Amino acid sequence: MKNINDDLLNRLIDDELSSEEKNFVLSELENSPDLKKRYDALLKTNYLLKNIQPDSVSVDFSKMIMQKISKRGIIESQQKRFLVVVLSLLGIIILGIVSYLFYQIINSLQFSDDNQTITTYSNTIGDYFSALFGKKNLSILGSALSFIMLISGYFLYDYQKHSKNNFSH
Amino acid sequence: MIMKNLTDVEIIESVKKGNQADYAVLIDRYKNKAFTMLKRMLKNDFDAEEVLMDCFLKAYNNLSSFKFEAKFSTWFYRIVYNSALTKLSSAKRKIENEMSTVDDLQYLESKYLADDFIKEDNSMLIKKIINELPSKNAAVVTMFYLEEFSTEEISDVLQISVANVKVILHRSRNLLREIIEKRNLLQEIL
Repeated sequence: MKNINDDLLNRLIDDELSSEEKNFVLSELENSPDLKKRYDALLKTNYLLKNIQPDSVSVDFSKMIMQKISKRGIIESQQKRFLVVVLSLLGIIILGIVSYLFYQIINSLQFSDDNQTITTYSNTIGDYFSALFGKKNLSILGSALSFIMLISGYFLYDYQKHSKNNFSH
Repeated sequence: MIMKNLTDVEIIESVKKGNQADYAVLIDRYKNKAFTMLKRMLKNDFDAEEVLMDCFLKAYNNLSSFKFEAKFSTWFYRIVYNSALTKLSSAKRKIENEMSTVDDLQYLESKYLADDFIKEDNSMLIKKIINELPSKNAAVVTMFYLEEFSTEEISDVLQISVANVKVILHRSRNLLREIIEKRNLLQEIL
């Protein structure tokens, strides 16, 4: 005959026994006062565990989390705006460089009379960019670009660090 | 008032649509039970609240990746349990807890049979013992009794087998029974 151990009693409480096992354990319980005592104690422990109330967090817990979530939303939108500004600025500069290169290529080519108007027009734009990115201004533009990149990089890093801190603490 | 009657899925869908404030309903729904589990695992109120706050923020952050394949409660408790383990690990307490699983149970039995605890109220005494159970046992007992998770759900949260969950649950229950039984306090119950 199978021994009735605590595991079987636990499984009886959790209703995990097959009908055959259940009948066997129940009949053993009727015949053994000691086993019945052990089972009752386990049953009452189970009852006590079921009735334990949860502990409570601080009163303003939910409010604090919601504040952090809202704050994070604001920082995220600030970051997006900042990125758009930086990328736009870089886009304009890249466009200028491409235009200048385009002008140089056009200049090196021969044009027919039919294209005179277009050539004159492109020459005007080309002259402007040529002056802008000429030897005289190139170093100033380069320095300005590097400065903008450095400042942008710093602020981007700072924003990300700040938002990460806000979100995790 | 109406929001509180909604299911977790309905609330999450609402939050995903941009109703950020609805997330507070989910927080209110889970905060105390999850806090209880963390408190029992970390043995510290302050750490428990701090980790729980991180868990709710993590869950919010990853809500877009929640696919409703599992219950939100199971998904959230996995975050809670893993965060607790990370906290324990960072405090270098995890190894001690893992190593002392069996010893702690014996230690607890002898500790709570001491005279100091004779006059304790039973439910208070049980609460104290659960608070001192090894992390994994405390987590299993809390999820099973407080959150009323099935053993399958607990195994999913803890990433262990169902058989292991049952062993942990039975051991913890047996320990509590032994203490109460030996102290002859059962007559006072009910």
